[in-house]
Amino acid sequence: MDNTAKRLLQRLVRRIPSQMLKTTLDKWSRLTAAQRQSMDYTESKWALTEKLLAICEENELTVKHIAELEMIHVIENPNLGMWYVFQLMDPQDDAHSVELTQFKEQFKSHLSELIRHVSIKIKKHTDEAVWIRIAWGDTFSRPNHLKPTYVVHYLQTPYVFLTSPTSKQKPLLSQALVLSTRYQAIKDANLSGRKLTAIRDLLMKQYLQVFPTKFPSPLAERNCVVSNLHIEKEQAGSAANRHQMACEAFGDGILPQLQSAVYKLETKFRDHTNKTMTERDEPFKCVVKFASTNLLESLRHSASSGVASTPVTPLLSSVPLKGKNYFVITDNGPGPSSQMKPSQK
Amino acid sequence: MCGSAYKNRPQPNYCSCVVPVWVNERPVREILTCQSPRTTRTHPRTARRRPPWSFSVARTPTDSIMAQRRSKNKSYRQSYRSCLGAASRLSHTPGWTARRLNTSRRTKSHNITEKVNPEDLALLVKTEWQLSYVTPLYQFRHTQLRSYSRQLSAFITAEKQQGLAVEVEGAQTSFRVSFSAVQGLGETDDDAETVLLQIHSKPVFAGKDEAQKLVWSGWLTCINGNPEYLHLLPKDFTCLPLFGSRGAENLTSLVKSWFQQTFDCCFGPLEINQTCLQWLAALWTNCHIESSIQHLKMIWTLPVEPPLQITYTVNSQDVWELWNSVRNPSLESREEEEAARSIDIEEVTRFMQGLKSHFYRHFRLDLSAGRLSQVSSALGSAKFSGRIKMSNSRYVLTTLTLLTECALLKMPI
Repeated sequence: MDNTAKRLLQRLVRRIPSQMLKTTLDKWSRLTAAQRQSMDYTESKWALTEKLLAICEENELTVKHIAELEMIHVIENPNLGMWYVFQLMDPQDDAHSVELTQFKEQFKSHLSELIRHVSIKIKKHTDEAVWIRIAWGDTFSRPNHLKPTYVVHYLQTPYVFLTSPTSKQKPLLSQALVLSTRYQAIKDANLSGRKLTAIRDLLMKQYLQVFPTKFPSPLAERNCVVSNLHIEKEQAGSAANRHQMACEAFGDGILPQLQSAVYKLETKFRDHTNKTMTERDEPFKCVVKFASTNLLESLRHSASSGVASTPVTPLLSSVPLKGKNYFVITDNGPGPSSQMKPSQK
Repeated sequence: MCGSAYKNRPQPNYCSCVVPVWVNERPVREILTCQSPRTTRTHPRTARRRPPWSFSVARTPTDSIMAQRRSKNKSYRQSYRSCLGAASRLSHTPGWTARRLNTSRRTKSHNITEKVNPEDLALLVKTEWQLSYVTPLYQFRHTQLRSYSRQLSAFITAEKQQGLAVEVEGAQTSFRVSFSAVQGLGETDDDAETVLLQIHSKPVFAGKDEAQKLVWSGWLTCINGNPEYLHLLPKDFTCLPLFGSRGAENLTSLVKSWFQQTFDCCFGPLEINQTCLQWLAALWTNCHIESSIQHLKMIWTLPVEPPLQITYTVNSQDVWELWNSVRNPSLESREEEEAARSIDIEEVTRFMQGLKSHFYRHFRLDLSAGRLSQVSSALGSAKFSGRIKMSNSRYVLTTLTLLTECALLKMPI
């Protein structure tokens, strides 16, 4: 085992919590039954690392096998690190009939053509997602397994999720993806987050959505804190209304956990009390960032509690509607420019 | 300040007998005033020393000794609040109109780089300080700073060695404390001179020849303090109400307890309230012409579940034009006067309102429902928790004036 493999293994054992180590190693299935029995998971991490290193030496495992182990761990825990979403555009005729084997071959061959030394591993997960682990090298050096990029693609959808793409690797990766999926272009979908499951659910709308109905019935409040019966009675109607509109905008139940939304505003300042600023021609440039442990939950609560006026402004409801969390907002141009349309750049 | 009765007891950082309760950003001390039984066991020596205005003006003192002294001493001192408004003396609740930050401020920038020692100034700017308020110090002499340095370093060394039964050779860290007076940082003669404190010590595993490093620094200051209040202080008291510290928390509490024991004062945390943060936002924006602020960043926290944090960063040129548009029409004709004219609270309110309304127009979310927790620009940053950073030496005096006022208001006496 060379140095890289050892370092990778050490780093991996440090990252994986002890409880999960056993299951991960079993899934890996590169250890014999006897070796698996000999691992005592109550020992310290350091001792475990040493043991594992010895076993891997015995089995003559290489860095490629360790990379497999890392991939298994990441697939089990996709909610670490930052994920960025890209969208494939303009499908060609046979884009929808691309199936797994074809995609794998095409992707591997295209990427290897573009870069000499690159190590690719593709795995299909149970839920129709294709996971790709790429270790990048260049003309002079071997692939660097310590800084891999993970790509997740759901076949039949135009979305691709990436971790930490650098500016050098992005164009090569984009090229390979576009060619192997039979689309014509790829662009930044302006959505990023820490939890892969959350942004995936947001994009594929896999959360409880609420649709406007002709005969609205108040949705059941989850935490009923009865403070004053008179106030409750008086406010029942408007509270139910706000709650309904908040849920229409953001969804009901448990919402996908986004961490932030950024709006770059370049609209004109308009305020009837301030003539000087209203007559200005230049836009009032500012950047607004909303941050929270669960952004959609906060926004929904602010709408239902009245902090945000209902009906919810399209700027905020675009987050779940369009599945984006980075927006550049400009004025619509001259004319009835009292409305703001989110435009993407 | 009843806590002083027990000189050798470890004092909490705030005077636990007086609990300021904040209502609408004004402390209402009369709701929970000191009824501590400690007052009845006043040490006669400290009774003489204690300033006679340490009780709320509207309360009848429970201590018979104090009652006696009061009747003897006719011209008793007034509390800070009462000197701002006569009504407070006669009623139980202080005059609400009296206890407030100044509604208008002069905005002259001061080039103090010539007047102040550049090393001291370098220490002051570009670092983030944690603020506290301090009640007036009894018998603090600027001439005895050397002796204070020795006393404080002995105190710290003693406290650090507490619990060690055997003298450990070599492994103990010695602390060198230096007090110094910063001259030139101040405008009026009423203000006491700023005092700078520095603690140097060797890191634990340092070599023999390694120099001592600065591990803790702090300062006590009073810039443009209310002259009425300062004149009413008895002769032996020095008012340095603003305390800034940077460094390990245990050293900060040691320094504070030494001060409390030696000068019979009281420390307390100083939060920078909403009005103060808005003043800073306006003051910094006002300086954009002289020194670019690069951007004005405000962080608001909304009380939803889970809490939502909104960072609102505005481009410097645009926010400067907005500020200019809300100013009152200028009565000054000359340009220098124009630059130095005062800012009123209404202008600040209109400015913040303009920013909030632009936000509301887009997001239909009223920022007033939340709380402004941080304001920052290239000239400095201020957080609600009481952390301040001044990045430009020209505006140090204006910022410190504002903070001195906050400290004087927050002091319970």
